[in-house]
Amino acid sequence: MNNATVNGQPRIVVSGAGKRYGALQVFQGVDFEVGERDVLTIIGPSGCGKTTLLRCIDGLIPLTEGGITMDGEPITAPREGVAMVFQHFGLFPWKTVFQNVAYGLKLAGASRAEIDEKVPGFINLVGLSGFEDYYPYQISGGMQQRCGVARALAVEPRVLLMDEPFGAVDAQTREILQFEMLRIWEARPTTMVFVTHAIDEAVLMGDRVMVLKGRPSSVHEVIEVDLPRPRDRSTLLHPRFAELREHVWSTLMKEAKEAEFKV
Amino acid sequence: MSTQANAAADRAVMSRLWNAIPWSDVRVKLIAGLIILVAWQVGVAAFAPRFVAKPLGIAAAFPAVITDADFLAAVVSTLGAVLKGLLIAVVGGVIVGISMGRVKFFDRMLNFYVNGLYAMPMVAVLPLLAIWFGYESDARLATIVFAAFFSIAMNARDGARSVPPEYLEVCKAYRAKRRYIWFDITLYSSLPYLVAGLRLASGRALVGAVIAEFFVSLEGVGMYILAHARSFQHNEAVIGVLALAAFGLFVEGAMNWVMRRFLPWARRG
Repeated sequence: MNNATVNGQPRIVVSGAGKRYGALQVFQGVDFEVGERDVLTIIGPSGCGKTTLLRCIDGLIPLTEGGITMDGEPITAPREGVAMVFQHFGLFPWKTVFQNVAYGLKLAGASRAEIDEKVPGFINLVGLSGFEDYYPYQISGGMQQRCGVARALAVEPRVLLMDEPFGAVDAQTREILQFEMLRIWEARPTTMVFVTHAIDEAVLMGDRVMVLKGRPSSVHEVIEVDLPRPRDRSTLLHPRFAELREHVWSTLMKEAKEAEFKV
Repeated sequence: MSTQANAAADRAVMSRLWNAIPWSDVRVKLIAGLIILVAWQVGVAAFAPRFVAKPLGIAAAFPAVITDADFLAAVVSTLGAVLKGLLIAVVGGVIVGISMGRVKFFDRMLNFYVNGLYAMPMVAVLPLLAIWFGYESDARLATIVFAAFFSIAMNARDGARSVPPEYLEVCKAYRAKRRYIWFDITLYSSLPYLVAGLRLASGRALVGAVIAEFFVSLEGVGMYILAHARSFQHNEAVIGVLALAAFGLFVEGAMNWVMRRFLPWARRG
């Protein structure tokens, strides 16, 4: 159901992907597909290359082996219709919330009128109405990332890439933002690749959870998350949620424990 | 109404004025200034020759000097040259500095020389500049530009180099054109550095202007000070010095205002 395709092909196809920095092979032999309304979460221990993989999907950095296609076209550079939300937020401190949200649209060549018409809606969608003229330093970390999400949504992307988006905010804010993100996704479903190191988040957000591990890392397991949508806080109480969480946890931790005691 | 009542009213107004001044800042400054002036007046009157400038003498000479057409012409001439020179130095320094900061090749070419010329005292080149540009205002302008340019270029370079890589990543992800990155990201991100460079440069420019006037005998505040010092009109000479100090304070205040008004985000790192 969630693997609906465009013209008979998945939106993102990653085949035999590998990335190496000099002598360091970060990951290799990574294969997966993401469909049109599919949410894939990627989880793995620190340094497994999940963020690197996401940057390759965005076209920010090239792969050293294999290839990635989006709607059938190979990716060589960042493309239109793909937006990324960064762990570091990446807001420009000299721009107001409004200007930051408008940033992607402006670069895409939107007119002033178009920006004035569209941006308030996205600011409202992420719950930042009333803060349009604030500078990033004047708002909390959680609000800053809301702004980062609005900037990505404003270009109305077909693919949303989330790079540990809530990794830099406190635990409570993180939970709030997760449910906000689920609500936003329901309002405008897109293809989403969501990198995280939080197991709850991976299970809650994803239709599938892909576990990367090993050195160099590769796809260890892909876990189907058969939790009903729309998801919200009650999903956390679902018995299946606990099972899946446990499953991902044991898959991840076995390796982590070995690594910790190997030294 | 009796004069006594008037005096009481005056006192009430004065004390209200005094109370309106915030303690921690202005009142303390006023008291310190007053102590310095009294010590100066008393010290000079007791120990120094008659021609040495004293606060009361300066105050007495003040109205005549600031309405003196020659003095005003001197101020306009010097400050005009400083502003013009700073403008040239800012435009040139920003272009050279940001190019150095963003293009490795330029940096390798120029960094050694920019640093070297920054370290070199411009007083040393003045005799050469005077001959190259003639004993006229061009030599002063050249000195000012020379004095100001390198500190601006160096700061612009540092600013451009310190653009956080995250910003550039965001630009790349949103497919920003190179021109856009230069003007919208690099320049903005460098602004706090540019203000710091300008602050440094304006001090050096003022020194350059005054020394050039001394050396080239050019109409201006420097020359005004020199002429009055030599003719033992020291109160007038000190007013010239104060005019330069006021300009320095004005620039400092203007920079602070610019930082608060236009770069409030810069204080938060």
